[in-house]
Amino acid sequence: MGALAHYLESEGIPTTQISLIREHTETIRPPRALWVPFELGRPLGAPENPAFQRRVLLSALELLEAIQGPVLVDFPDEAPEDTAGSGEGPEGWSCPVSFSTETREETDLERLRTSLKREVAELRPWYELSIEKRGRTAMVEFDPETASELLSIFAFEGRLENPKADLSPATALRLATQDLKAFYFEAATARPGSASPASGEFSRWFWLETAAAGILRAVKERCLNEADDALRKTGAMFLIPMDQA
Amino acid sequence: MAQLDRMPEPMRSHLAKLPCPSFKTQPWVSGQPLAHRRVALISTAGLQRRGDRPFEGMTGDYKVIPGEIEAKDLVMTHISTNFDRIGFQQDWNVVFPLDRLRELATEGIIGSMADYHYSFMGATDPVEMEPAARNLATLLKGDRVDAALLVPV
Repeated sequence: MGALAHYLESEGIPTTQISLIREHTETIRPPRALWVPFELGRPLGAPENPAFQRRVLLSALELLEAIQGPVLVDFPDEAPEDTAGSGEGPEGWSCPVSFSTETREETDLERLRTSLKREVAELRPWYELSIEKRGRTAMVEFDPETASELLSIFAFEGRLENPKADLSPATALRLATQDLKAFYFEAATARPGSASPASGEFSRWFWLETAAAGILRAVKERCLNEADDALRKTGAMFLIPMDQA
Repeated sequence: MAQLDRMPEPMRSHLAKLPCPSFKTQPWVSGQPLAHRRVALISTAGLQRRGDRPFEGMTGDYKVIPGEIEAKDLVMTHISTNFDRIGFQQDWNVVFPLDRLRELATEGIIGSMADYHYSFMGATDPVEMEPAARNLATLLKGDRVDAALLVPV
């Protein structure tokens, strides 16, 4: 990020930036940077909090009026807590959609596949409601059934039934994975009475309690044994987060 | 927290080892007060218009995002799986604060918003981004931009 600022400024464009990793910014020394103590993925601090986002944005823009630099300023406040889900009990957010226990612990691959189908079917109406409520979806390339089928068939049969001819196999698997996770999030949080989870709470639920996560782990294993470099790299790095590996 | 010392392994070591150039020079371009500036957003979140080709590798290329875009038409195809995405799924402004920027322009706190904004995919080695960044400077000048706000993810 800081290198981009350096290149643009040296071409005559005044820049300012948000910094998420202070150590990187200290090395690169871009002209103007506001370091924020927020989670990766949330440079403005908090979703659905326009007042807080505005403070962060203005703090970064105001650095453009600094007399000399480089300037690296620390934003003074932590992101507001995701408090919406924490009022429900000591465990905080719990997913309103719970799948039956025996399927969670199922290891047999065929039954995992059946469980995934059932999860997708159970979540589908909530996904529809989410689109109505939010006016958008973060799913990019696939509908929920296509994404889950593509991943299932690859995991269990090694075949990639990729309906998007312009996407490479590795890109199709990666985007199907991202789309499936977006589907689970949007559906799980659309149910009346469900609140917005903190990112860690959603991750714990998704990676520990859904058949979808089991399928993704199987996809990863399959990728690691493929001849195609791009598939092996995708399996190793781009499907499962480091903290869930 | 994005502070390295508060981050668990292996993420901490991964981030600490990312390529991170240092430069001999520190360029500095002065400008007008904020209320007269024309501002463009430049994100490294791998954002794109729905329907554009997704980001596929670390090639340093960027996507163009028109200023009038709506939230439903902006999607994320960043290859990394190691940052939070549910914030963006709830509210695009937590990654790409276009609505906030529009408000500041309406209130006259900034001069205006650029016609075009841009997104790179940030896990890319900065050296790979240099040619595209220098080319982008020409486009920004063509759009009369005199303030670029760079937002990581």
